[in-house]
Amino acid sequence: MRITTGMVQRSTLADLNRVSERVTDAQKKASSGRQITKPSDDPYNAARALKLRESLAGVRQYERNIEDAQGWQEATELALSNITDSVQRARELLVQGASDTTDAVSRESIAKEVDELIAAVKEAANSNFQGRYIFAGTRTDEPPYPVGADDTYQGHRTAVVARQVGPSVSLDIGVTGLSFLGDGAAAGDGKLLDTLRSIAADLRSGDTAAMQADLSGLDTNLDQLLGVRAFNGARQNRLDAALGRMSQLEEVTLGQLSETEDADIAATLITLNSQQTAYQAALKVGANILQSSLMDFLR
Amino acid sequence: MAISSFYGLQTSLRGLLAQQRSLDVTGHNVANASTKGYTRQEAVLAASDALQVPAGAVQNGSGAHIGSGVDVQAYRRVRDGFLDLQYRAQATRLGEERGIAEGLGRAELALAEPSDDGLSSRLSDFWDAWSGLANAPEDSAARQAVIEQGQSLAGAFKTVDDQLALVRSQAAEEYATLTASGGRIEQIAGEIGQLNDTIKRFVTAGDPPNDLMDRRDVLLDELSTLAQVSVEDLGTGSLRVTFGGPGDPPLVDDTTVNFPPALSAPSGRLGALRDLAAEPGGRIAQLRSDLNGVAETLAGAVNRLHPGFFSFTPGAAAATLSVATDAAGLNASYTGFKGANDVALQIGQLRGGAADDLYGAFVARVGSEVSQAARQEANAQALTDSVDDRRQSVAGVSLDEEMTNLIRFQRAYQASSRAMSTMDEMLDVLINRTGRVGL
Repeated sequence: MRITTGMVQRSTLADLNRVSERVTDAQKKASSGRQITKPSDDPYNAARALKLRESLAGVRQYERNIEDAQGWQEATELALSNITDSVQRARELLVQGASDTTDAVSRESIAKEVDELIAAVKEAANSNFQGRYIFAGTRTDEPPYPVGADDTYQGHRTAVVARQVGPSVSLDIGVTGLSFLGDGAAAGDGKLLDTLRSIAADLRSGDTAAMQADLSGLDTNLDQLLGVRAFNGARQNRLDAALGRMSQLEEVTLGQLSETEDADIAATLITLNSQQTAYQAALKVGANILQSSLMDFLR
Repeated sequence: MAISSFYGLQTSLRGLLAQQRSLDVTGHNVANASTKGYTRQEAVLAASDALQVPAGAVQNGSGAHIGSGVDVQAYRRVRDGFLDLQYRAQATRLGEERGIAEGLGRAELALAEPSDDGLSSRLSDFWDAWSGLANAPEDSAARQAVIEQGQSLAGAFKTVDDQLALVRSQAAEEYATLTASGGRIEQIAGEIGQLNDTIKRFVTAGDPPNDLMDRRDVLLDELSTLAQVSVEDLGTGSLRVTFGGPGDPPLVDDTTVNFPPALSAPSGRLGALRDLAAEPGGRIAQLRSDLNGVAETLAGAVNRLHPGFFSFTPGAAAATLSVATDAAGLNASYTGFKGANDVALQIGQLRGGAADDLYGAFVARVGSEVSQAARQEANAQALTDSVDDRRQSVAGVSLDEEMTNLIRFQRAYQASSRAMSTMDEMLDVLINRTGRVGL
């Protein structure tokens, strides 16, 4: 084949372009640290990277959800523990009041303390987490047991307070006051507030037989309360486990994303170096070929 | 019949003149070594008509033909028309692949994926906002965040759609500019018509204008990148050029230009532009309709749970998507309780659902179309280069060869001069010294 000057120039230029394109490519990977900078670099892995980014954002959101739910649970546990303390104090007072040696004056003062304990229980039942009443079901904007009103539960009676703690996993973190405090004396439901009210009444009337019945009622209520706390504690464990799982998942997803999207720096730098060497070689060879001509050898 | 004593002088003169012409042509080649589309030329030398001596030239008394030197027969363009055909077919293909790759490449940049600025990140933020609302359904800041992320997502859809629309309209505009009256195609066609006229007159007169023919071939090469070209030789140096479709009336027929061309099946760059810009059915239009599908799926899924959250015009969802409610009208739940979050919770669970999947598939589709177009462009470029190399191998100027020719013709010129001097010395002896015996 006859090789002409134009051909040599064109092919030298085309080769230089090709090599310098590869150098630019390797440079882009090395400087951005990413092997996919646009979808066409690797369409399959680009779509995979999008998916992984989405999962990662999801996992991080679930972590935030869980942390929020944990705050709620801790507030619940704190309030329940306060209520338990009050109830145990009420039990001690009741035992004291039920004794035959206690006179009416003492019973009246005991009954007053029980009234205070009832107020404390209602106060604890109205506790809030970030301005939201935690024992009111989904009616979080109103206190479930308003001060000064009767003991009827004002919250939502059945609704669940759900938080999403994982892909398609949601958890009810709410405890309604209704479930263990009840609607008070008017309803006569035998729940905590009803029992406490009747204790106060019985102390005042001095009916020791009724006080014995109240004692067994209070024990049942205390069992219920402990049951609620155990249930709440189990939920806290579940949230802790979910958070642990999410942070593992975050780590794994980050790893996969990095594997899909990030450039292998060592390999990229080696490629970059070898491409640069190739480019310099191409330049040198090109310069030699383009410079030499028959004219160099003719006088 | 005797042969003139001065006959040899004439032979040498012819030699001198012929070598000089060859040197001139070599100089022309060297001067045009880097001229685009230049075809190397050569002076075709042939022995000139011999002097016929009827009788008595040789021993047996018969006649003879005595060589009279050399003549320039023609100045020839060294070119292979078949390679031109191959080159133009490849150039048409390269023009098409390059046009597609450029257009789709711009569309791909519009997506800005994968990154923290693309639509997928906005989508993620949108789901985050709903989950945030599910955590704090009574919180007005969380409600505002949902509205704002919704607006930002709608804005991202519109931006991508606008960019795609821009790519489409740029392609349509370039097509219109090229094919408009006074556009590049009409200019080329007009120039080819004029060149046909000039070349025909010279060819008829017997002296083909090589450099004008080169100019016409350059124009045909350029035309072939725009759309497919077929050339028919009319025999008088003139050409009939069919452009943009095999059955179309010729764009240039001898000296007549038929403008505008019918462009029934252009391929080439015009074909690519048309393919990009067509509505409906064009490549960009298809991408936009895919994007509309993503927006509609998203809006449909959200509106099913929260009626009236998004509003959009069916068929142009990406461009018209907007948040149709405000923070006050936003419902985390329809139960009426402030702490209820069932709607927000369910919308938060749409994360990673149909809309995300469709968008991922859309990005993958754009990516694979672009990488395929880039591969085909590289392939067409390699084929075009290889045909061009073969063409250059025949028609291009090799400086080494021209240098060699320079020496060859210079030596031949010197030798002819030497022959003439020898002849001169011989005549000097004959004229000035013969018959002077005894003087």
